[in-house]
Order: sequence, then C-alpha cells, then structure tokens
Amino acid sequence: MGVIAETTQENRTPAAVGAAIRRTDMRARGEPALWVLGGALALGIAMIAGFLALVAWNGILTFIPKPIDVVTQADGTVTAGEPFREELFRPDAEVLEALTPEWRARIAAADGYTSRTLYRTGNFDLYGEDFRWIPDFTVTKRERPANVLFIERLEWGPFVGSIKSATIDGAERQIASLDDPAFVAAHRMSRQRWAQANDIEKDEIGAINHKLEAARLDLRGVELDSGRDSTDYRQAQARVEADAAVQRGNYDKLAVQVEDLRRLNAANTVTFVAVGGEEKTEEMAHLVRFYPANDLSFGGKIAVYFSRWAEFLGDEPREANTEGGVLPAIFGTAAMTLLMVIAVAPFGVMTALYLREYAKQGRLVSIVRISVNNLAGVPSIVYGVFGLGFFAYTLGGSIDALFYPERLPNPTFGTGGLLWSALTLALLTVPVVIVATEEALAAVPRSMREGSLACGASKWQTIRNIVLPRAMPGIMTGIILAMARGAGEVAPLMLVGVVKLAPELPVDGLFPFVHLERSFMHLGFHIYDVGFQSRNAEAGKPMVFVTTMLLISLIFVMNVVAIVIRNRLRRKFAGSQF
Amino acid sequence: MADVETKGEAPQGMPRQRRSMKTARSVIVIDKAADWIIRIGGIGVIVAVFGIMVFLAQVVVPLFTGASVESSSSAKIAPGPRALMEVIDEYKVLSTSVDATGKVHAFHIATGTELEAPAFDLGGKDVSAFNRTLNGRDLAFGFSDGTLRLGMLKVGGAVVDNAQVPQNLKRLNDTDFTDGQAIYTAISPEQMRVVSIAVELGEETQTAPAGTAIVAIDYRLGGTVERPTRSFITVDAAGIGRLSRTESRTNMLTGATTTTMTSSELPGLPADVHVHALLMTNNADQVYVAEETGNIYRYDTRSFAKPDLAETVDLLPGEATIGAIGFLIGEQSLVIGGSDGSVNVYFRLQRADAKTGDGYQLVRAHTLEPHANPVVAMDASQRGKLFVTADAGGDVWVRHSTSEQVVLKLAATDAEIDTVALAPRENGIVAITGDGQAHAWNISVPHPETTLRTIFGKVWYEGYPEPDLTWQSSSGTDAFEPKLSLVPLIFGTLKATVYALLFAIPIALGAAIYTSEFVHHRVRAVVKPTMELMASLPSVVLGFIAALILAPLVETWIAAIFCAFIVVPAGLFAGAYLWQLLPSTIALRYGGLPKFILIFTALIATGFVAFALGPWFERIFFAGDLKAWSTGSHGESTPFTAMLVFPFVFLALFMSTQGLVGERFGHILRGENRTLAGLADLGRWIATLIAAGVLSYLAALALVVIGMDPRGGIVDTYVQRNTLVVGFAMGFAVIPIIYTISEDALNAVPEHLRAASLGCGATDWQTAIFVILPTAMSGVFSAIMVGMGRAVGETMIVVMAAGNTPLLEWNIFSGLRALSANIAVELPEAVRDSTLYRMLFLAALTLFVMTFAVNTFAEVIRQRFRKRAAQL
Repeated sequence: MGVIAETTQENRTPAAVGAAIRRTDMRARGEPALWVLGGALALGIAMIAGFLALVAWNGILTFIPKPIDVVTQADGTVTAGEPFREELFRPDAEVLEALTPEWRARIAAADGYTSRTLYRTGNFDLYGEDFRWIPDFTVTKRERPANVLFIERLEWGPFVGSIKSATIDGAERQIASLDDPAFVAAHRMSRQRWAQANDIEKDEIGAINHKLEAARLDLRGVELDSGRDSTDYRQAQARVEADAAVQRGNYDKLAVQVEDLRRLNAANTVTFVAVGGEEKTEEMAHLVRFYPANDLSFGGKIAVYFSRWAEFLGDEPREANTEGGVLPAIFGTAAMTLLMVIAVAPFGVMTALYLREYAKQGRLVSIVRISVNNLAGVPSIVYGVFGLGFFAYTLGGSIDALFYPERLPNPTFGTGGLLWSALTLALLTVPVVIVATEEALAAVPRSMREGSLACGASKWQTIRNIVLPRAMPGIMTGIILAMARGAGEVAPLMLVGVVKLAPELPVDGLFPFVHLERSFMHLGFHIYDVGFQSRNAEAGKPMVFVTTMLLISLIFVMNVVAIVIRNRLRRKFAGSQF
Repeated sequence: MADVETKGEAPQGMPRQRRSMKTARSVIVIDKAADWIIRIGGIGVIVAVFGIMVFLAQVVVPLFTGASVESSSSAKIAPGPRALMEVIDEYKVLSTSVDATGKVHAFHIATGTELEAPAFDLGGKDVSAFNRTLNGRDLAFGFSDGTLRLGMLKVGGAVVDNAQVPQNLKRLNDTDFTDGQAIYTAISPEQMRVVSIAVELGEETQTAPAGTAIVAIDYRLGGTVERPTRSFITVDAAGIGRLSRTESRTNMLTGATTTTMTSSELPGLPADVHVHALLMTNNADQVYVAEETGNIYRYDTRSFAKPDLAETVDLLPGEATIGAIGFLIGEQSLVIGGSDGSVNVYFRLQRADAKTGDGYQLVRAHTLEPHANPVVAMDASQRGKLFVTADAGGDVWVRHSTSEQVVLKLAATDAEIDTVALAPRENGIVAITGDGQAHAWNISVPHPETTLRTIFGKVWYEGYPEPDLTWQSSSGTDAFEPKLSLVPLIFGTLKATVYALLFAIPIALGAAIYTSEFVHHRVRAVVKPTMELMASLPSVVLGFIAALILAPLVETWIAAIFCAFIVVPAGLFAGAYLWQLLPSTIALRYGGLPKFILIFTALIATGFVAFALGPWFERIFFAGDLKAWSTGSHGESTPFTAMLVFPFVFLALFMSTQGLVGERFGHILRGENRTLAGLADLGRWIATLIAAGVLSYLAALALVVIGMDPRGGIVDTYVQRNTLVVGFAMGFAVIPIIYTISEDALNAVPEHLRAASLGCGATDWQTAIFVILPTAMSGVFSAIMVGMGRAVGETMIVVMAAGNTPLLEWNIFSGLRALSANIAVELPEAVRDSTLYRMLFLAALTLFVMTFAVNTFAEVIRQRFRKRAAQL
C-alpha cells in the first residue's frame, strides 16, 4: 500500500473511520478481486518456497544413511534394500485373483488401489537391477537385522549384504566385527595403495604420454616444414626416437610399480554374501565405504553423512557420473566463470564508459543502448550457435591451421573448449555488465565530474579517480549478476565445449598449465546428463538433487551479494535511480 | 579538458608553482591512450555484438543461393554410334559411355583425351534393348534374337604408391596423367589415385521366343550373397511382357551352382504396344511399362507368378511423347520428361478413391518448370532428389524434385544432346551432344533441397499423401530425404510460449499489483527480492524438476490440478466475502500482513481441498478417467466445456447484474451495517455462482449440440511430458520477469496521482485499478513482452520436459519441439556446413529476430512510458 494511504488511515479518529467505512460501497473496496491478486502473490511465493524446499529437502537428506529392510515375500523371495519411495498403484485383475480374500477386500475398499515400495537393492552384478518394486500385499515379513551392511563400491553400484570372510595378505580369516583392527588396517592400506596406483597412472604416466605426444607432434611439425626427406627431419626423428626410448623405460618402471601395488591389493579381499545367499568377493581397494545400516549410532550416521559430502565435493565421479563426486564439474564451472569474468568485465565496463562518457549522446547512441539492452533478452542458445560457428569453427579453425598444423586433422582449438565457452558466455553476459555499469555511471552526480575537471584533472583522471570509484559497487553488482547468469547457463555450453566426462582438468601440472582448448565438465550440464542421459535415471536422481542444490546455492549466494551491494548503492545515492 | 591553461601569472620567487601548472606529458599521453582504448574497445564490443546477427545470416544465406558453376569445358570426341548410357566416376576424371555395339568409350573430362577401354564382347549381335541401374554399374543388354545378357561396367578408383605407377605416363594437366588406359591423379607426394575401367559380361539367357527381338528390358538384383536372385522384365517385339526371376544356389558340398528360372507373362499389354521404357523398382515389386505416347502400365509384381495390372494411366495427354523417363533415388518417384518440354514427378500413393487393383494411384506430385524444347535425356543423383534434364535445344537443367526448383540452367550448344550424366557426388555434369562434343561443368549444388517455400511452406515429400509441414532431419536409410520445415518448430515455440504466458501473466500481474499497491513497503522489501530470486534459478534445474518430478506428479494428479483451477479461485472469493463480514475495526487493524497470511493460508487450504476432491472431480467431469476421456473415446465433453465457459459466463452475469441492479443494491447496502451488507453480498455472489453454473451447463450443451468439442483441439491424447508441465515450469522462468518489470512500472507512477485519487475519496482498490494501472499500462505491457521473449528463447526446460515431438496441434496434453530445443539437440551432431547445420543456424537466426523484435518493441514502449511518467 502506498505511503499516503497509510498515513491517512492513521490520522483518522476511530469514529470517523467507522462512519466512513459504513458509507462505502462494498464494490468500491473490491475485496474479492483483492483476494485473487493476493492469491497470485501467495502462489508465486508458494512456488518459489516449495521449489527451494523440495531441492533442499532432497539435497540435504540424500547423504543420510538409510536403514535396510529385509523383506520376505509370500513366494519365499527375500529382498534386502533401502526403502526408496512408496506409491499407490492399481494391481491387475490377475494379480488380484491370486490374493487372499482379506487383501482383496482391503484393496477393493481403497478403490482398487494399494501401495508398493521401491527398494534400492543394489547388487547390480548379481541381480541385473538396482531397484525393485515390492507390492505390500506380497510381504509376509519385514525386518531390520543388525548385521546387514551397505557397501559402496567402485563398480556395479552399492552392495547390500553381510561379510562372510576376508583375506588379508593372502591369508583367509574371519572378521568378528567391522572394527576388527586387522581388517580396518588392511582396508586403509588397500585404499592407500589404490590411490597411489591411480596417482601414478594419472600424473606420472600421464606426463610421459604427454611428452611422447609432444615429441610426435614436434616431428610432424618438422615434417610439415621441411619434408620427410630433409636432414632436419632425420635429425628430429633420431632425437625423438632416443627420447621415446627413455620415456618408455620410465613408463615400464612405473608400470611395474603400479603392477606391484595392484598385486598387493589383490591379496586383500572380502567375501560378501547377499540375503539370497549369493556370494561376491571384492578387493578391499574397491570398497569406498561400508556401514551396518541398521546398527548405526547417531555419531556413525553423522560420520557417514559427512564423509559422503566430502567425497561429493572433493572427488571424481564414478559409475557414469551417478556416484562419487563432482569436483571436476565444480572446477570446470569455476574456471569457466572466472575466465568469462576476465573477458566480460573490462569490455563491458569499457563499452559502458564509451556510451556514457565518450560517445556523443544522440539518437544513434540511444538506439545502440536500446539494442544492447535487448541483447540481454536474446536466447542463450543463439549465443551458443554463434559460439560454435564463429569461435570454434571459424576462429578456432584458423588458429589450428596457423599454429597447430601438425595436429590436424584432429582439432585443437577448432572444436568446443573452455576458452570458447567462456567467450560465448562473455558475449551472452556483456549486456548485463554494460547496463549495470551504465546505470552506476549515470548515478554519479554530474557536479562531481565537473568539479574534478574544474580542478584541472584530465578526463581520464576524472574517470579513474572520481567516477569509477563511486560507480564501483554498481559495476561489481553487474559483474556478479553476469557471473550468476553465466554459471547457470547450460544450453550454449552444450554446443561449445561442455562434456559428460572430461578426462583431464583444464588446469594441470603440464606445460602450459592452463589448457584453454580442453573441454570441461559443468555442474549444470552434469544435472542434465545424470538426470537424462544416464543408464538409470532413478539411481542418479539423488545425485542430481545434491548437484542442483550446490548449483542453486552457488548462484543464490552470488545473487544475494549482488542484491545487497545494489541496495547499499541505492541507499548511498538515493533518488538517482531510473 | 587536459589542456590546463598555463598562462596564469605565477608569483615571483615561487618557480615550483610554475612547473606544476604545466600539464605533465604523461597525463596527456595517458588521457589520449585511455580515450582511444575506451573508444575502440567500446565500439568493438558493440560491433561484435551486432556481428552475431551478421554472422548467423552469412551462414544461412547459402541455403538460398547455393548453386554455382565453378568451371566448364568442352572437348571434341571421336564420333561413333549414339551412346546408350554415360557415367562419370566418383572423382570426376573419366566420362564413360557404352554404345549399341558394346564398345566402351572413355575420355578424360578436363581435356577430352580419349582412352583405350575394354569393350563388351557381344558376339556381333545388335543390342535392341538396354537398361542400367542408377549408379551405372549394372547393365542389361537385350538382343534381337530374344536373348539377353547382363554386364558390369566398373569404373573405379584405387590408391597406389608411386613405386607401382608405370613409367612414362603422359601428362594431361596439372594433376592428371595417363598411360592410355587409366587416369593417374597425384593426391600426395607419395601416392597416386588410379581410375580405370573394367567390364564383365554374363551368360546369354533366352527369355523371349527365339527370333523375337527384345525391345525393352529392366532388371534388379536381390537375394543374399549365397543365394543371389535376378529379376528381369522384358518386352519383346510381339508385345509380350515377361517377368522372370532367376535364383542361383551354390551347393555347399560340391560347389556347383544351380540356377533356376521362373517366368510369367504380364497381362493386359496390347499387342501393338510401343514400349519406350521399362522400369522396375528396387524390390522388384512394381513394374512400369511406359509407352511412347505417355501411357503407363503399372504392374503390381509382388506375386511373381501372377503379376497384376494395377493401373493404366496416360501421364502425357495430347500429342506429346516421352522424351526421358527414370526413377529418382529410392525408386519411388518417377520423372517423366515430355517432347513438349514438360518435366513432372509422379509417385504412387494410397488413395481411398483409387480405381486401381491395389488401392494405389500414380499422382503427379511435382510439376517442374518446362523446357522450351523437347526433353531428350535425364540422369538422377545417387544421393538425393537432384536430377538433370537435357533438351533438344542443348539446354541442361539441374533440378530438385522435392523443392521443385531449377537449381542451375546450363546451355551447352544448339545441338541436340544425346546423353547427360550427373557425377556421383553431385558436383559435375557431362553432356554429350549429337555432333560429337562433350561438355563438362564443375558445379557446386550444396543445398538444392531448400528454398523459402520448402522451409516455410507445405512440401510434398515422397510417399506423403499430401503436401505437409514436417521436421524430420535424419533417419536410418540412405534413400531418406531430410524434411526441413521450420513451421512445426516455430509452432512448438509459440505453443509453449502461449501456454506458459496463459499461466504466468495472471499470476505475475496479480502479484505485481498486490505488491505495489496493497502491502506495506517493508513486506515489499522482502517479497520482491524473493520473487526475483526465482528468476535466477538455472533453467536446467527447472527442466530437471519439471521432467522428473513434476511430470509424474501431474500425470497422477491431473484431475486434481483441473479441480484446483476451480476450487482455488472459488476459495479465495469465498474468503473475501467472509472477510467482508468482519467488523470494520478488525478488518482495518488486520488488513495488512495478517490478511495476506490469511490469503496464503486460504490458498494452501484450497489446494488441499482440490487435491482431495480430485477423484470425485474426475468422475464428474472426465467420466472417471481423464486420459481415456481426453482421447475422445470415453465419456462426454459437456461438463468440461461447461467448465471452460464458466468463467466467461460468470463474468458476464456479474457485470450485467452489476449494471442493471448493482447501483440500487449498493444503495440499499450502504445504509445497512457492515456485517449485514457483507452477508447480502455473499448471498449475491452465491446466487450468481449458481446461476452461472446452470447457464454455462446449458451453454455447453448447446455448444456440444452444434458440434464443438474441446477434445481433439486443446485437449487430446495424454503424454507424460506435455505442454501443461512445460507451461508450469516455464512459469518459474517467466513469472519473476513479468512481475519485477511490471511492479517497477506500477511503482514508478508518481505519488501525487495516488494521493490525488485517495484524496478524492477513492478506495485503494479504485485507485489501483482506475488510476495506477492505466497510467502504468505501457510499462506493464512491455513487461509482458519481455516475459514473452524469455519464454520464446527458453531452452533447457523445453529440451527436458517437452518430449521434443514436432507436432502441429494445440493439445495441451501433448509435447512439442521448440526451435531452441531443436538446436540444442541437433546441432552437436550436425556436420559443419551441411544443410542441417545451416538450417539450425536459420532456426537460431529466427529466434534471434523474434526475440530481438519483441524486446525492442517492449523497450520502445517502456521508454515512452518512462517519459510519460516523468511528465505527469
């Protein structure tokens, strides 16, 4: 309500109010319409609140260890699994036929509906499925035995069952409890060796491969420059071959090391047994985490919960992205957004400075201004199309032809990559920065500029020392908003360089350290990929919720910062908006 | 500004001051540098941003210009008998022709140099009938003694190392060499490509009675590698058409091959038939016998033993005779060029009214631009629906059947053309004229299938019952023709936008008016940023929630959702009328936040009521099963129609009673105390509600009687990922935009207008609706336009939740394929510079232009509004 209406009401005496209202026509107050308007606002708020609650609820609860039900069905099948969700369904007539009369009566009373539960059974390698629906009417017994373990493995998804025996350093032994010190130590040791072997493969062997590849490209470069028959080429060939021999020697040494570690690990195994009696032997190194789901203390639950979070934030994905962590995606999102800011901030500010401080204010500039404003509304996919056609194919193709002829026909910059994604998003967000900066520049009072100029400062000095500092909060707002928009965009990235699984991070220890041509992973695309492209959307859903929560909180934090800065700015220069 | 005056008199004895008065050089340099950098950077960014449109357009343009002649040449070749056929090899170096004596003539296209080529040894017999497959590899010769022979003409390329290349090659041009028999082309310093000719001739087979000449022939190969079959069709001089099939079996043990032949006669062929050509389709299930006059006898040969004359039709009425006839790739489309210059394309379609044996009928699908002279030769492409026709006047035209355009018009000479051949990669043409000239063109026809008409208009694709608007860019088979009409995609975009806006506009505007006019500014300071947060939700998240959470929920509770459309507004109205019963002191004291919380509660409560009423509602309105009901097979549509017309009837009724008796009613109520007046108002509302219910049911009955049924229109078969879900999800993206901008506009209406209105005794409601809203109207309108722009371009939501089926129907329960989603899905797979790639760029350009236009329009209106608001 407007300020004026409020004060008038307050100034009325109670009697006057009564008299005034009594004489007012009901229609004039428009109460029903008012409620509908209020209902619209309430609905809007309910939508956003419901949405956030849904994401937060699922995101926060996903990592809490759930109990495991062992369900015995009427036909004798025993199933163990986490109850995932329940739903009502209408069983077929044939199914109903086979039921006991009291169940039939119960279902008939419920209008033909009855409930069933989806259990996450795990053991994909044994059952060929991750989930199983169990209708309530088939259940004869449902219990939660203490000895059932939930085991997260590197492959095949989780395993639900109990430990039968373990082999430590080749010697079989019984495990009394999970706290058995020999077992705990062996598991820790195995995991360490596994990590070490992975590191060697990834870093050191990766570096050797990188060197070999670089040498091959060198040779190809010489070949392109001076031909295959030249002395240069023969010299280079000899050099490369000598070098390659050394590298291969190194490689063999490392390979032996990895082999050793693997062999040691192969001696540490655990044999599990599922509720149905099927046995499965796993290397300890492949067990990420296990816990007795029904016998977990509160502290234990908390520990599992946080260890899952730690894995999520700090590890690489596994199981086709449906498990493990999202570190590469976080890294990719951050790297791309940073690179985008580096591109967008100076150019956006420069353009705004030009439009506001340098260009002659006329019809043309106002048309340009309107157009720039509208570019913020052009669909992001259009920028993606442009990025692919212009940056990747045209610009990248030329760069490849000029600088990387030895790698052709494999494209280097001639395909999607980090740089092109960042530039595409920079183009997408530059209107945001321009508009915000212009607004901030316009908010700097003219008198301050004039004062500065009158004191003898040059135009640039005025801008640098007087205008920019005062406009800085506004500019920052624009840049943060641009970052928030950029971090949440997925559609253009699908065209210019984001991938499901990037083998290498865009930044690593190999020269030139920052690999702008590499494709990368992105949180937003991760959501799309896991939710829509994975083998088992159901198994990936919890993961998607957590990723969603992460992405939303990232963007919200940025937005809130921007809004806070904007409000502070508005207060500082009150009355100068619009 | 930088030039600070230094002439000022400095006091004596203070030389330092003098120095400091001079502008330092560095300051000037830096100032100039900053000036230039900012100018160049600023203008550069503006140019770059506008460059997007230019770049997109530049990629799109070749779709419409495309074809060009890169070079042409002509050479004199040795005269000989008229060629039966001509082919060009894949690399466009050799043109090979076969004449009626079985001799093979080959010449190097670029220079006209003749090569020595092996000949078909026909044993001195004269060829009386000849035919070939589309690629020119398999040939059939029919002889005047009633025998026939099959042959193969292999013009192939192989890559060899330089070491294997024979010495003393003769240089032909920059890249090509010859040893007199083959063409050698240097492709790299170490390797050469050899294009050479080989022939193979099969055994003689007697099909017609000995001594009766075969006048026309066609054949197809089929079967498996182990058991090859050959299907022949021949017509002999006695006018007998014979259909034969040979099947060869190799005995695994002995290795002996046995060939069996079955034969049958084509019925109904007149004895004096003058066969111009015989054509057989790929699976040998159709045979066309074409008479010179244009009469076509179409046989259904699915049963080899008993072929059936399905249809006889004269495709060239009048005097005209057939000049050239042939299949296009896929062997469904038949091209007929007449002596009157006409070129038409026919294909077989199933027609209900067909008076033919098999229910199919030959239909003239494409009428192409006619030649000025009789058509004498044609050749079809092996990759698409491109073909060339040549006329007696020496003109060679490159045409495309589906797009009906003449892509290129080439004029050879004035001499009549004997044969014309199109290179396998559609990049060259060689025409041999009767006077022994060979004319060759290097052409580039990258996108013959697209014209403005094919992209935006109806196109008659092969096998389609009628011209249609279709988007189907890829499929499994080679003969598949991409169908690239943007209309279904634009329609999809519009459909998503319309349904999203139908949902978003009322909520966003209602919320904006309420926030701006009816809540305390402290509440507003909380509510507005909350709604704005909604705008920053990444659309991939919205899409994910919509598709994986919302879509199954909506599917389960669809009836409850429709129920909510009625129950929630009704509940809010009821709440309002009950609120009116409150004594004014209470109503005033709790009119702010508490009332809003009450509204919120009412909303949630009515939501639950709707949820609970869902099954009951489904029984009454959708005959117990909405999904079955919506297909139109189950239940009646009257209740749903009544529900659709109800709001309008209610409004009309409410307005009319207001106009007729409202004034008097108001007067009476004004004298009474508030609670009583409120009760009376409540009574009136309920009465109107009931009356409107009855009236709308009657109206619905009437509508159904005159044949209006919403089913088949806005409601039809239910699929899980549908427009309703997209509309909801898109609401999240669009509502905050419309809300923020229109709230800003409402808020920017000058305070004094509000004060004046309230001061004159208007209520808040009257002020808001009759003063503030009209003043801010243009701003509100522009808010809607900006929201529309966002909905048009939204990508991830439609990719994930819309099902991506390119349909042309308004059904709210079916999916759609939007321009943006189509780009996101197909562009990563599109080959650079292919037709699909350029079409997707065109889609992007269309989106760009649509949103840019909408936004500019909105911006202009908003600027005008600002100016007006400032003047008030």
